[in-house]
Amino acid sequence: MINWRSWDRAIVARIIGIIIVTTVAVGLRVWGINQLGYNTDEAVYAGQAAAIAKAPILKDIFPIFRAHPLLFQFLLALVFAFGVSDLAGRLVAVAIGLATVYMTYRLGKLLYGVKAGLLAGLFLALMPYHVVVSRQVLLDGPLVFCTTLALFFLARYAMTQRPAWIYLTGVGMGLTFLAKETGIIMLGAIYAFLALSREIRVQIKHLFVSALLMALMILPFPISLLLAGGTRSGKNYLVWQLFRRANHPWDFYPSTVPEAIGFLVIIVGILGLWFLRNEKSWRERILLCWILVPATFFQIWPTKGFQYMLPIAPPIAVLAGRAIARWWPEDFSIFSLRIRRSWVKTLTVLVIALSIFLSSVQIITPATTGMFVAGTGGVPGGREAGEWIRNNIPEGATLMTIGPSMANILQFYGYRRAYGLSVSPNPLRRNPSYPPILNPDMQIRNGDIQYVVWDSYSAERSTFFSEGVLRFAKRYHGRVIHTQSVKVTLADGTVVDKPVIVIYEVRP
Amino acid sequence: MKKVRVFRYLLCVLVISFLFPTASARADVRSQSPETKTPIKHFLVLMQENHTFDNYFGTYPGAEGYPEGTCIPVDPFDKSNTECVEPFHIGDRPIEDLDHSDSTFNLQYNKGLMNGFVYALNQRNQNGALSMGYYDDRDLPYYWNLVDEYVLFDHFFSSDHGGSFANHMFWVSGQQGGSRVTGEGYDDIPTIFDRLQESGISWKFYVQNFDPEINYRTAHLISGNRASQVIWVPILNMARYLDDPELSSHIVDLNEYFTDLENGTLPAVAYIAPAGASEHPPGSIRSGQKFVKSLMQALMRSTSWDSSAFLVTYDDWGGWYDHVLPPQVDEHGYGMRVPAFLVSSYAKRGHIDSTVLDFTSIMKFVEENWNIEPLAERDGNANSFMSAFDFSAPPREPVFIPFERVVKEERVEPRRYVIYAAYGGALILGLLMFIWTAIGSDIRRKMSGYFRRRTQPEVPMP
Repeated sequence: MINWRSWDRAIVARIIGIIIVTTVAVGLRVWGINQLGYNTDEAVYAGQAAAIAKAPILKDIFPIFRAHPLLFQFLLALVFAFGVSDLAGRLVAVAIGLATVYMTYRLGKLLYGVKAGLLAGLFLALMPYHVVVSRQVLLDGPLVFCTTLALFFLARYAMTQRPAWIYLTGVGMGLTFLAKETGIIMLGAIYAFLALSREIRVQIKHLFVSALLMALMILPFPISLLLAGGTRSGKNYLVWQLFRRANHPWDFYPSTVPEAIGFLVIIVGILGLWFLRNEKSWRERILLCWILVPATFFQIWPTKGFQYMLPIAPPIAVLAGRAIARWWPEDFSIFSLRIRRSWVKTLTVLVIALSIFLSSVQIITPATTGMFVAGTGGVPGGREAGEWIRNNIPEGATLMTIGPSMANILQFYGYRRAYGLSVSPNPLRRNPSYPPILNPDMQIRNGDIQYVVWDSYSAERSTFFSEGVLRFAKRYHGRVIHTQSVKVTLADGTVVDKPVIVIYEVRP
Repeated sequence: MKKVRVFRYLLCVLVISFLFPTASARADVRSQSPETKTPIKHFLVLMQENHTFDNYFGTYPGAEGYPEGTCIPVDPFDKSNTECVEPFHIGDRPIEDLDHSDSTFNLQYNKGLMNGFVYALNQRNQNGALSMGYYDDRDLPYYWNLVDEYVLFDHFFSSDHGGSFANHMFWVSGQQGGSRVTGEGYDDIPTIFDRLQESGISWKFYVQNFDPEINYRTAHLISGNRASQVIWVPILNMARYLDDPELSSHIVDLNEYFTDLENGTLPAVAYIAPAGASEHPPGSIRSGQKFVKSLMQALMRSTSWDSSAFLVTYDDWGGWYDHVLPPQVDEHGYGMRVPAFLVSSYAKRGHIDSTVLDFTSIMKFVEENWNIEPLAERDGNANSFMSAFDFSAPPREPVFIPFERVVKEERVEPRRYVIYAAYGGALILGLLMFIWTAIGSDIRRKMSGYFRRRTQPEVPMP
């Protein structure tokens, strides 16, 4: 029999807090999670996982080795061994996202106490940036979990000075690399933190052991490339990444990331840094290093992606949590009404939580405009078109799409090979993971390509290749065999069916 | 009241059928599917040209190909000459149109000894050794891939000793027709199409690059290879198929094959004649395969696939070597074995059928399936290839067969266990490290306390 009365109020409050954070974190991540099918990146990672799991047909379509290490794909493969399912893949991503929310809570608790930890966990649980990414089969979800883990270990080291924690930081960084190789830049954050913190003493031999452990953890990547037969693809991709052209303007991150994190969260975090400047310690420094190093790096790096900045989300959430938890405004009166400081704090938390909650709800609601931005969610109609292909187009058929994005989706759901017309035959101008169509005319004439697919998303990005695809459809007796439409809302509020994917049968 | 409704309905149907004659005609084709003995509602046959079974499938595993130690004498009539030619892979060697007249057949056949292949061609001032050449999966990847999945016939003979025309005549009429004076025609010979027409069974003769102006009346005026259309399409030598619009409308360009498949108007029986892609030496066998691939793919992606059977065969042996002695059923044949394979949703998978067949077996199948009387003695006595089907199983899903040869054993699979071991090992290592760091200290502390207590002397109870 539990004696409830004997429980400390603080413990009860903590349990209630944990329940609230967990509930909103789970709710936002699983609500309507499978309304839309995979986007192109999800299709690629899930396809790799299916190939590792030896899923029939998919294992012949998707190569195991493409660009990145395979930690997440390996975990997915363990699930896909029981059957390939897009929902199962996304639930794995959600589980990792929830683990990140927990680690953020632990980090906040470690640095600033339970309240700050709970608030940090709440902000990350509600944060649109993390919500949208952790609902998808992307590498950035596991990456941010691993970076937060490494940050937590580093903070434990800073607090205890026990060498074991700096060793674990090396392990955490190794896992970060295995999740996504770009995570290696967090080494810069660790270096900056240790270099700027005289009070944190670290011996070279401990760092050496830590580096050794990190190298040991990274080993699966080169070992599997060498022994499992994928060296070439890895090298090619690295070369391409180093020399590829910018894919977004310089203001891509400033215009997208703050909104996705939540303006209020950022403002509160900054205000906390200012108003609590008297409390400054290595704690804020470690968080700031964890934010500024990747932010600076990705701002300079020409290749930009919506989700690349995600590792900065947990430390920002912790800073915001810390600001509210440790900020103690005095009670004050308005028109003889006494306003308690606890009311102000509660109201502030509610306003911030509500603002980011609404943003999250908005961002996870499927777009009704027929447009989509890479990294923000699934592609309306993609899964349905792919499934139609699987059920109606003979096995062994090959499709030509406008670009590789739609090709990936149709390959995953359609179980048929698809190639993007826009993939450049010049190896310096294309992602080496994507084979080009060297001579589309000849391949259609030879019956090597039997279907041509036009889609509005790719057409929006490249009218040139959109027209190219339609030209081939016209030239080779193109016959529409399927049109995939989605419901879109027009400016005047009218809901109409918009054709987003059109499949043509072509023949010589 | 009910009668009035029925009357109104019938009236509507009548009015619609008058208003939309095209739609009605289309529906007519669809409805022309008299009872069939099997689930095959559409039978298609393509006649390519001039190869033997050994020449195409002599090294195909499991089929009756070249016997061990095959070596054909250069001169079988000179006992002192022991020189002989073994089968060899042709590869990229240039080839020529080997003589395939009746007299060459007789020399090669050599009264059943089947040893005059090299000699006969040498007598024609050709390189007789070439007759011993063969192709394999390096040259015929698509055909070999097809027969891996469907049915290969290894006892399919040409119907006549001679060349194209006689065999094409057997193909449509079950008889040779004999040679006649130019312009005389073969209107007196009944064909399978007459039978189909009488029975109300839809049929078409699809002709690649069809020119309706070329027929037996005009062929002698046409220079070049285009006149061969009257050989490939023997009914163009019959006046009724030229003059009767009801019949001539069934001879159409191959383009209609594709549109018929798209529209679901494929006839019950369809004969297909190629033009440039017939594989007739020295033509490209790769082009022939691409041509067949286009026909197969179109069928496979149509709604007719589930109820169709497509047979591909070759009109004569073309002068090439084949080791199987052809049975002689009459003075005309059989001729040498020719390649033949069947693709159908009901075809047995990867099956080699050794039933003795010839071109009249095609008619036999049509006659059996649609319950038609035989035309001639030959088709009446011929075997059918019903044994190549498995009607007990549901129709197979269509699969686009790859054009390039994929030998399953040669495919290099990535070593997946390395991935599992490496990444799984890393995760386990990380977990153990964490346990050692985070919990290990507590365990060590507790264990040291336990041992301390154990080593302290027991304090007696007061």
